[in-house]
Amino acid sequence: MAHTWISMYLPPNINPAQASIAYGCRALPKLNEELQSEDLQTRQKALMALCDLMHDPEHVYVAIDIGCLESLRALLRDTNHMVRIKTTEVLSIMATHTVGRDGFLRDGIVTALSLLLNDPQPACRENLHLAFQHLAQVPSGARGIVDSGLIPSLVRKLHREEENIQEILLDTLAACLQEDATEALNSRVVPFLKDKLLSPNDNIRCKAARTLIAVSIPLEGKKQIWRHDVIPILVHLLRDPAEEVKANVAGALMYATVTTEGKYAALDADAIHSLLGLLISSLQKARLNAVKALTMLAEAPEGRRVLKAHVHAFRVLEMGDPSKTVQRAAQVAIRVIEWKP
Amino acid sequence: MRSASTPGAAPGTMTTYTYTSRPRAPPCRLRYRNGLTQQPDEPLPFGNIMYDRRVIRGNTYALHTEPQRGQAIDEHVQKLQETKKRAAAKKRAQEQLRPRTPEPVEGRKHVDVQTELYLEEIADRIIEADMECQTDAFLDKPPTPLFIPAKTGQDVATQILEGELFDFDLEVKPMLEVLVGKTIEQALLEVMEEEELADLRATQYAFEELRNVELAEVQRLEEQERRHREEKERRKQQQWEVMHKHKETSQKIAARAFSQRYLADLLPSVFDSLKEGGYFFDPIERDIELGFLPWLMNEVDKTMEHSMVGRTVLDMLIREVVERRLNTYEQKEDKHPFLKPEDGPGGPGPMRDPTTGDEFQEQRSLPSTEAPYEKLIEEEEEEEDPIGLRRSLGREEQFQGRESWEG
Repeated sequence: MAHTWISMYLPPNINPAQASIAYGCRALPKLNEELQSEDLQTRQKALMALCDLMHDPEHVYVAIDIGCLESLRALLRDTNHMVRIKTTEVLSIMATHTVGRDGFLRDGIVTALSLLLNDPQPACRENLHLAFQHLAQVPSGARGIVDSGLIPSLVRKLHREEENIQEILLDTLAACLQEDATEALNSRVVPFLKDKLLSPNDNIRCKAARTLIAVSIPLEGKKQIWRHDVIPILVHLLRDPAEEVKANVAGALMYATVTTEGKYAALDADAIHSLLGLLISSLQKARLNAVKALTMLAEAPEGRRVLKAHVHAFRVLEMGDPSKTVQRAAQVAIRVIEWKP
Repeated sequence: MRSASTPGAAPGTMTTYTYTSRPRAPPCRLRYRNGLTQQPDEPLPFGNIMYDRRVIRGNTYALHTEPQRGQAIDEHVQKLQETKKRAAAKKRAQEQLRPRTPEPVEGRKHVDVQTELYLEEIADRIIEADMECQTDAFLDKPPTPLFIPAKTGQDVATQILEGELFDFDLEVKPMLEVLVGKTIEQALLEVMEEEELADLRATQYAFEELRNVELAEVQRLEEQERRHREEKERRKQQQWEVMHKHKETSQKIAARAFSQRYLADLLPSVFDSLKEGGYFFDPIERDIELGFLPWLMNEVDKTMEHSMVGRTVLDMLIREVVERRLNTYEQKEDKHPFLKPEDGPGGPGPMRDPTTGDEFQEQRSLPSTEAPYEKLIEEEEEEEDPIGLRRSLGREEQFQGRESWEG
């Protein structure tokens, strides 16, 4: 009951959902102890407080130093779903910082997290995938994920998850497959991605195309792409309304047409006209990828013949494009088109 | 010092000091202010320089000079001055508050005048009078009743209960400050984090683009290299094969020519030897040779033997006959000599006469002698000879005859 006098002290429990944070350097050790307590409420409140604190990189460093990751790992197996959701959220926030990522890789949190892939709570899974996505942004993290053998299960999940989780998953996969794509190729990632390319959601198409770029870098990937007839779909998507999708699809084509079979498949699907349309796109990535894809196609004699008529477009790019990379790429393209055996 | 507007001072260089200002009337402060609420932007009244206290006129030998600024001032003196000033100021303020009579109308002047019925003499001497007084003994007096003024108006009561003096805004302010502060701090941290992440992602995307492009270029060049190399290999292989074939064909031709020449005479000789060796045979001929001819020869042999035997028998017969005849002839010769060349042409007597003439002769003679021979032979060897053998005998005898000529 409020009194008539105005107190100079703050009310004792401003936020009952959070544990009170001790002052200064005692904050994190105390929270760590509370995390290991037996009482559910204490644990939950400590987790909420930890969530807020982990946004500061200094705190993340201190937390990992005192071994919060151990307690968090134990909490991942907790039976209460709120605890699990919050733990995964804390871990995903930690993964946005470099210290956090290093700590993950050192303590093997990745394997502990992977046990939650089939968790019944969607929020928990979403945080889990966010953690993986943040981890995969750096090459060492991606390598860690690949080494722990998670890629096949992630690829299988691609079909069964909801849309927003699928987006995160595709991002993670794109980053991981840049590192090492062999495992994914063995687990039939190309047919899955083919399905995703036809999804109605713009973001999903965009990210699926980006993952396809990563897949098609190794030779095995290129062969699989050709074998599963993904190239006609890619060419069809070149007329997609979203710019990002077009750019990524051009990138995937650029890699897929390095092999001779890919080249002829693309030429059969009449990729040249769509790619020429992309040359005047506003996105630099789209122009770059289109130029490169056309360079690949110009290696084949039929492609060279068709492209000879369009050399002027490349010259325009070479002179007038703001980016140096595009200029160089246009130069290379012109050289390839006008090459005589 | 009043706050005077700074004149346009021109400090110029550090060595000389010049001061210039436009001529203006010196401002002064009225002794009596018009009111406490004098507007500051009213034009300052200018004062008469003759009556300005600051201007020193006349004798300056024994003036009370104000302590100059910057000189060492005695503190006591200073305090005295200050108290004096304060008193003066207070008096002035109080005088301000006292209501005054209005100013006289224009052309008139205020004069103090007694207006009572009976005029008083205004003198300094105070009228004194002696008075005495003594109090009575105190009487008991009832207490004076309380003076309760009549009640007017309405009775209204109010009471401040617990919690009514609660001013939410005041109370909430510190809590809100803390909450908002913490939230904003948290939000700032999160926003910074997001920004960092977004920056990281943006640089990563840019890098990825470039890297993809470069990688694609590298792969394309690799592919090109590979194709060119393979093409070259293939062409080299083709050339090599062509050359190889060339060489082989020339070698083959040379070898063939040589072997042809070598075998040119080998072949006929080989064929000949083979033919001689009997390796080329006509099966029918072979058959005839192997089957028929031996049998034929056997038969011929047999026939020959037969005929030999026959001839020997015949010879013996002829001998006997001849001997008998001889004997008879010898008997007859005693009568007349008779020569019959009854030589058996089939006998072993050599007859080397030209074949044709003799043949005819022989043929003629043969049938002539043959007939009796045949009869004789028939008689002798009837049981032995098959029918065909008789015919063949005739042939064989001819053969024999021929052979004996030939051999």
